[in-house]
Amino acid sequence: MKIIESSKIKEKAYIEKLENGMTVIIIPRKNTKKKYIIWGTHFGSIDNHFIMPQTGEEVYIPDGVAHFLEHKMFEQANGTNSLDTLMALGIDANAYTTNDHTAYLFECTEHFYEGLDELMDYVQNPYFTDENVEKEKGIIGQEIKMYDDEPAWQLYMNALDCMYRENPIKIDIAGTVESISEITPDVLYKCYNIFYHPSNMAMAICGNFEPEEILKEVKKRLITKENQGEIKRIYPVQEDKINKKEKTVQMEVSLPMFMIGYKDVENSQENRIQKHIAIEILLNMIIGKSSDLYQELYEKGILLSQPDLDYEFADQYAHICISGFTKEPRLVKERIDQTVKQMQENGIDEEHFNRIKKKIYGDYVVEYNSTSETARMFLADNMKQINSFDYIEEFETVTKDYTQTVLNNIFKEENEVLSIVEPNK
Amino acid sequence: MNYQKEEIKQGITLHQIHTENFKTNLYAIFLAIPLEREKVTLDALIGAVLRRGTQRFQTQEAISKELERMYGASFNCGIEKTGDNHILKFYLETLSEEFLPEPEKLNEKCLSILFDIAFNPLTVNGAFKPEYVEGEKKNLKQIIESKIDNKAKYAYDRCIEEMYKNEPYGLYKFGYIEDIDSITSELLYQRYQELIAKCKVDIFCSGRLNEQETIKQIKENKNIQKLQERKPQYVINNEITEGKKEVQPNNIEESMQIIQGKLVIGLDILNTQENSRFIASVYNAILGGGANSKLFQNVREKQSLAYTAGSNYLRTKNSIFIRCGIEIANYQKALETIKEQLTDIANGEFSEEDLENAKRLIVSSVDAISEEQDTEITYYYGQELSDRFMSIEDYKKQILEATKGQVIELAKDVKINTIYFLKD
Repeated sequence: MKIIESSKIKEKAYIEKLENGMTVIIIPRKNTKKKYIIWGTHFGSIDNHFIMPQTGEEVYIPDGVAHFLEHKMFEQANGTNSLDTLMALGIDANAYTTNDHTAYLFECTEHFYEGLDELMDYVQNPYFTDENVEKEKGIIGQEIKMYDDEPAWQLYMNALDCMYRENPIKIDIAGTVESISEITPDVLYKCYNIFYHPSNMAMAICGNFEPEEILKEVKKRLITKENQGEIKRIYPVQEDKINKKEKTVQMEVSLPMFMIGYKDVENSQENRIQKHIAIEILLNMIIGKSSDLYQELYEKGILLSQPDLDYEFADQYAHICISGFTKEPRLVKERIDQTVKQMQENGIDEEHFNRIKKKIYGDYVVEYNSTSETARMFLADNMKQINSFDYIEEFETVTKDYTQTVLNNIFKEENEVLSIVEPNK
Repeated sequence: MNYQKEEIKQGITLHQIHTENFKTNLYAIFLAIPLEREKVTLDALIGAVLRRGTQRFQTQEAISKELERMYGASFNCGIEKTGDNHILKFYLETLSEEFLPEPEKLNEKCLSILFDIAFNPLTVNGAFKPEYVEGEKKNLKQIIESKIDNKAKYAYDRCIEEMYKNEPYGLYKFGYIEDIDSITSELLYQRYQELIAKCKVDIFCSGRLNEQETIKQIKENKNIQKLQERKPQYVINNEITEGKKEVQPNNIEESMQIIQGKLVIGLDILNTQENSRFIASVYNAILGGGANSKLFQNVREKQSLAYTAGSNYLRTKNSIFIRCGIEIANYQKALETIKEQLTDIANGEFSEEDLENAKRLIVSSVDAISEEQDTEITYYYGQELSDRFMSIEDYKKQILEATKGQVIELAKDVKINTIYFLKD
């Protein structure tokens, strides 16, 4: 097993790439009672067009299949539901689907190996029938409607709509009531067989484990599958321009919500971690708690709390999101634009830069507080071929000059969009 | 046990939790005072004004800068309702000294800032700084108005308001718009002084800390020294204090522009025996605790009526709330299905296995208490406020001892008080 280490925070991770292509990451924790395991497949809502590895057939699937599969994996041929089985053991189990992966997880303090039996059994043994697929459409339909009522989700989806024209990141993860109506057991089996192949999966485990021991236990429970070639995913060509500048909708909210997006059109594999760190430093310098701009807007009653700051990226997309509540969304955007411009023209302040850098370091270390956060982070980063410790280790290498370059290249007005959810008139 | 407490002065208690599970130390101050209609808005506003500036760090910006220099120590404050008490909460989380890239003494600095914010606010001519008060009045208004934004939470809050109409627990923790305009910085500062003199003060420190050194630092802190001894005014709530009578269920329907209906049902537990809280927890887990619960199985899985279906037990008020997100047209069907579940449990229609599942669910969440720093603090503070200390281990034992007969007995005392439905 390969061992990677972060001496600064006294953590180690053991990584093994199994013969069948699956990656297993183990992060041992001595003092904790909680054990956490997460098993993910590199199959998310953006993977809706691909070539079947064995037959070479080109396939389009309805929107929402990855998420639908996630719901249906729990159902077993003997009539039981694995979620119930795990909960009955006192194990807290769950699953989720994102743009680029689907994950099955559980955490517990006792009965870990019984939980592992169940997890590895249900993820490797799908059972879809016409009847159980139909029934799920009702439940997922309710989930979609729940999101329809959520202003924050609509705000985000509209920001993506402004930034991208064709990119499948625009598709709602759960699909739509119409798109899921087309889903059949056949579609589910087809996608399952391709994307739930071990070579397309990774597992992260955190807790009080002996790495060799737990690896053996995992291997023992894996079903042998024939090798399959690489899955060729087809995505629309990357667009170097935004789709539209602005989108505003009305919903039942008390105060308008805004999301400013900067599309990162230079998204590439190089320096992804340094870039990510630099962007987080910049966002805090622009509108973080101690920034002049935040202070000004707070004192004028224009902002109530620090906006949420985020950078999301994968091979197919990359963008910055700044979001919050304000009665004056356009004014907030204008002041952010002016501040960015000033920082681009006058250069960023050294004391401010160093102070925020310290803060970001603290933020990264805090993520290691919980077993669940740690394992989730390793899995999500692994889907992007990133080693999570690099955020701590490469931290020192992010200089003020480099950060200035990132500011000048990414925070461009032509790549900036605005999404607003305003109260009903 | 890794927990110890010590009274620093009458009414002021220090709780220390030694744990090496985290990369951080967490410090907290809780100020508890009875909920009152006349004071609730003032108290909510006080928390907001305090974080604006202290005598030493006069602006929010100055506080934020200092915290950033301490590797992004994070400060948080909030207002909560626990039983019939209004609680002002202040938290500061910082990296444990051994994980700093360069050695530095952070612990005393942290305590000192936290005490400054709570006990040494910036004042001008014997009142809070007027600009801060005016600014926070506007913010508080918006916070109260934003109550409608999260529909599920709104429906839950509304159900509680209706169920506890004209009682302290029915008050909204952020207060009321109509109170705000007349608040002046003098009036607010007067209330602050009154609150600080009378409230119950609890200080929590959790992490890799030297207990003796921490006690010494706290006792020597000027802000702590100037606090007076007090016979704290706060309300003790537990299953014995919350006696209730059965009432005719109250039906409330309200409309909003929404797509999914939110159904919240408030249940009273008429049983007020000592330690019935453990039985009530088990009952609640069977009813709506997780994926095996009656609600999840019957409302969601069997009938596809909902995406969310569950319940929570509110120990301080000895009540249970059922919460479902449903298709609006399915209201009657969902309500009937829910009522059937209540009757079924009272008739003993659940298996020993259901009982065991429910216990395991609770035990595993009890086991997880010490895996999160703020959860562990909240647990011990809950023990403190209910005046019933029980260690985490004993708590588990009590849950495991609950029998099917006891759950049935308690189920007969569970009565619907309020049915609240938010629709289009």
